[in-house]
Amino acid sequence: MLDLVFLAFIGYILLLGLKRPFLWVLLYVYIDILAPQRIGYSIIASLPVSLIAFAAAFGGWLVLDRKEGGRISVRQGLMLALLLYCWWTTGHADFPLDAETKWDWVWKALLFAIFLPFTLTTRARIEALALMLVLTIATIVIGTGMKTILGGGGYQNLKFFVNDNSGVYESSTLATVAIGLIPMIWWFTRHGTVFRPHWMVTGFAVALTFACLLVPIGTEARTGLLCIAALGILLLRYTKRRLLFMMGAGVLGLSALPFLPQSYYERMATLAQPSGDESASTRVAVWQWTLDYVAEKPFGGGFDAYRSNSFTYVMPVKQVDGNTTTVTYQPVEDKGRAFHSSFFELLGEQGWPGLAIWLTLHALGLWQMERIYRRWKGVEAEEEAWIAPFAAALQMGALVYLVGATFQGIGYQPVMLMLVGLQIGLNTYCTRIDSARALHQRSEKRRAAIDDKLRGAVAA
Amino acid sequence: MIDYFALALGHGLMAIALLRLVLRADLDADPLIGQLKKDTADNRMAASSAGRNAARRAKAGGRDDGDENPRAQVAER
Repeated sequence: MLDLVFLAFIGYILLLGLKRPFLWVLLYVYIDILAPQRIGYSIIASLPVSLIAFAAAFGGWLVLDRKEGGRISVRQGLMLALLLYCWWTTGHADFPLDAETKWDWVWKALLFAIFLPFTLTTRARIEALALMLVLTIATIVIGTGMKTILGGGGYQNLKFFVNDNSGVYESSTLATVAIGLIPMIWWFTRHGTVFRPHWMVTGFAVALTFACLLVPIGTEARTGLLCIAALGILLLRYTKRRLLFMMGAGVLGLSALPFLPQSYYERMATLAQPSGDESASTRVAVWQWTLDYVAEKPFGGGFDAYRSNSFTYVMPVKQVDGNTTTVTYQPVEDKGRAFHSSFFELLGEQGWPGLAIWLTLHALGLWQMERIYRRWKGVEAEEEAWIAPFAAALQMGALVYLVGATFQGIGYQPVMLMLVGLQIGLNTYCTRIDSARALHQRSEKRRAAIDDKLRGAVAA
Repeated sequence: MIDYFALALGHGLMAIALLRLVLRADLDADPLIGQLKKDTADNRMAASSAGRNAARRAKAGGRDDGDENPRAQVAER
């Protein structure tokens, strides 16, 4: 039954796309994030829906789209370079089979992110993509938030639609993405044109923001808490009444405390003392190992290069015997620990060149969004008032992602790469407005000059 | 149950949004950039024909022919 509903929905978008092929791009975004083929279990699981959607999106653009104003940007070039470099390291990987498995989804995510900006040629399309991203993530987040409130949370306990830690269905990743999208959700309450500003839109935004904030609580993902803190600090820049905002955030935080489960406190307490938790203490060890590893192999070891690491370290081990708890420090051996950081993931897998490309890609994005924000800040004309807040929302999203990425290996996360595509699309669109306007002004001047000349000739 | 509710809400909103998008012409052609381009083209057109006329008048030796029909001038040529 569920399968039929999903198939009907996909069929509906395919049908609508016949009139406006850009909708097929949105279909791919939806399928790639929500993965309906993995929620359903009969017919839909056997159909290559993702491939169909990609073929439709790319084919529709190639054959039917106007392709107006599409131009290749530096950041698309960087992603292309990263794609080619990853392809090369996959061929020389330490663990060819594992590398092949990861390469299988990484190249698709990178290729789609390179392709995406070409399709984002109008304001409506930029908004449509943002809306699709928000609504798809919202579908997952609403369920997560409700389950948390009704009491079903806990680290690795909360059930998503798909429970295999893949894609966005990994608790820390979902927390990062959900928190990163909050500024975008609020952008829609003021500048949305598909759903115009209305009390119902604001109501939905309030509920959705609440649900997003509940994701790190429900899943007890520590990284999520850091992302919330980062977002709070970033929002200070855009708040007029900073003191009131800080007090409000403090009150909200304090009032949330009684509702948190005990297990949450215990897990969050390990943030302050990393030695008490294996997941946290191995991070530091893995990062050190990665630095040693690239000292030997500066060009990286291909995807999943971390599998060759192993370390022994001393950790406190608790033993409860009746009323007495003894803590003994024992050596623990650990093998094949994942990178737990996108920076080290890129460094270990793609070496210094890969890390340099990745860092430039994101740094350039932050700088471009800052430039756009400053250029369009205070513009009040309806057609352009949306640009500065949109750039600010994308910049905050990217910064929250980078905070989350410091503690998780999500360097090639498809949703984040889509946000990169969206940033590039916005930047290209703004450049087009500016150049069209410059040409327009020049033509105005010329026309005025010739009119003057004409008048002069007439007077003579 | 919660899963079904979340899926229904999300998909319902997406279905409405997509339907609204299909009905919008500005999804494929940006009105702002389109308008700027159109105005630029208009200006260029006006500037170039006016420019031609002005140049022709100057050539005619400063004769005051402002009232003459530009089309007649073109025909003369």
